[in-house]
Amino acid sequence: MIDGARPSISKFGLGFLAHDVWNPVLNQFGAASFLFGTALTSLVALALAAPLSMGIALFLTELAPKWIQAPVTALVETLAAIPSVVIGLWGILVLGPVLRNDIEPGLHSALGWIPLFGQPQTGSNMFTAVIVLTIMILPIVSSISRELFLGVPNELKEGALGLGVTRWEMVRGVMFPYARGGVAAAMILGLGRAVGEAIAVTQVIGGFVGIQWNLFNAGDTLASRIAAEYQGAVSNLQVASLIYLALILLVFSLIVNIVAQVIVRRVARKQGLTR
Amino acid sequence: MPKYGSFIRTSVALAIAGVLAAVAVGGAGAAPAKKQDTTLTGAGSSLIGPALAIWQPLYGAARGVTVNYSAIGSGAGIAAITARTVDFGASDAPLTPDQATACNGCVQIPWALTATVPVYNVPGVPDTKLKLDGPTLANIFLGNIKTWNDPAIAKLNPGLNLPSTNITVVHRSDGSGDTYVFASYLSKVSPDWASKVGAATSLSWPTGVGGAKNAGVAALIASTPGSIGYLSDAYTLQNHISKAQVKNAAGKFTLPSINSIEDAAQLVKEVPADNKISLTDPPADPKYAGAWPLSTFTYIIVPIQTAKAHDIKNFVSWVLTHGQPPIKKLVFAPMPLVVVKAANKTLTQIHS
Repeated sequence: MIDGARPSISKFGLGFLAHDVWNPVLNQFGAASFLFGTALTSLVALALAAPLSMGIALFLTELAPKWIQAPVTALVETLAAIPSVVIGLWGILVLGPVLRNDIEPGLHSALGWIPLFGQPQTGSNMFTAVIVLTIMILPIVSSISRELFLGVPNELKEGALGLGVTRWEMVRGVMFPYARGGVAAAMILGLGRAVGEAIAVTQVIGGFVGIQWNLFNAGDTLASRIAAEYQGAVSNLQVASLIYLALILLVFSLIVNIVAQVIVRRVARKQGLTR
Repeated sequence: MPKYGSFIRTSVALAIAGVLAAVAVGGAGAAPAKKQDTTLTGAGSSLIGPALAIWQPLYGAARGVTVNYSAIGSGAGIAAITARTVDFGASDAPLTPDQATACNGCVQIPWALTATVPVYNVPGVPDTKLKLDGPTLANIFLGNIKTWNDPAIAKLNPGLNLPSTNITVVHRSDGSGDTYVFASYLSKVSPDWASKVGAATSLSWPTGVGGAKNAGVAALIASTPGSIGYLSDAYTLQNHISKAQVKNAAGKFTLPSINSIEDAAQLVKEVPADNKISLTDPPADPKYAGAWPLSTFTYIIVPIQTAKAHDIKNFVSWVLTHGQPPIKKLVFAPMPLVVVKAANKTLTQIHS
């Protein structure tokens, strides 16, 4: 890969990372706007998916009656099995227009003072991409968390309840600390998925080059730019620059994974738990 | 040279007749083992896709050859033939120098003539009623004209009640021949566009949102009131999307049609060795008064040396003759004689 990216590396160097121009006509390429788009969309998606999947996992392990548990678990896990291109199509045809017409104008008028919620344009924007990513990482994070919650020893839970704490206090005081490391790792795994997702994002994000905070505008990520342009590249330098983007994506995912490992280890050590 | 070409064609026809006769004689007894040799696989331009869908059954019935085609976009088609994963590629944009080098001994042969067209979704403006000229179109796509009731648009459309809606520009996010045609036109009519954006199959767009392929652009236009974009004309026939009239250099507002594309094709006087022909923005001559300014040839891209040389030559010769009339209904215009001649000449270079 380094070999494939060499023409671009030698032309643009590390400045590639800071440059937000992507112009195949003038042969000027930079990764900054895609790095920004990747970070923004995947972090917001994780911020949405994290509480949701915690809720689903807790509901399934603690609250739901047995007859609900099995079908809901199956349903959530089926979400993970939907091919991303299908989610992307649904994003173009259903989700995008609904968000654009019914959700985004409301968010804009209520929260327009936050730069993230600017003037809505079309159904293809970073917000649609965020929701699509949320749907894609939700089953990963929630099913891992569910397993972790199930793994909390019953003696601990019953002991806490026996001391007279409420169920919610038991969840906060016993289950969360016990599963914390694993849950954090699950979320970072979800983040990794969001960072690397290409097809579904390419279909809904709108492919705009430039750094801007408005989620309701089109944007682009590292993975989606590679997916959209690799086959249609017009010059050797464009191909090399796309491979350079892939290289950055690879390093980015590697860092995410290492961070996940470190968190898991640190939490495990702190708790003195060997699991 | 033409004599040599016709000799080849005759011998090719004879060879085919021979194969057909052999198959007929073999009859029911012959196993369909030979079938594998008579399949052609291609990929690329989505603009030519609907035409290929018409050609496939016709050619199958006429010559017993199966043609598989995937409309994955011009850029992807060029990549596929460069990697030799298909027997032919198809593109609406001629190969760039880098692409030609990478393709390593490929020729491009014009094999159909059609148009790209600006499309819109403006509440209260019915299909084909919106009139635009080149500079206005360029200013919209540059982001200089931001609302539909802008004086520049209103001046061209005195009868229309234009809303104050914001304009949303929609373009292709993948490498596209339509983008190339559209941007080539804008580069010719707007010096601003030429210097700031230029023309290629993928661009650095000053404004707007990208949709993947014709389908993605069509879906965005349909779901976004106030949007404007561009599509292959054949594609607009299958979807109910409003097309805009465009003023040509001679000062007439036109729409893509067989006649208006043929008028633009009069521009071709001679064909260069690489078959690269541009039809966008014909001059202000009364001869081109009816011309559609965004007409384009579309190309098949084939390696000069290929194991399937024989089958490909047959197929392309058939497309250049019998293949043209049945695609007229998709607004593919007949190609000028000089282009057909050049195409046949290039075809003779292909060998196995």
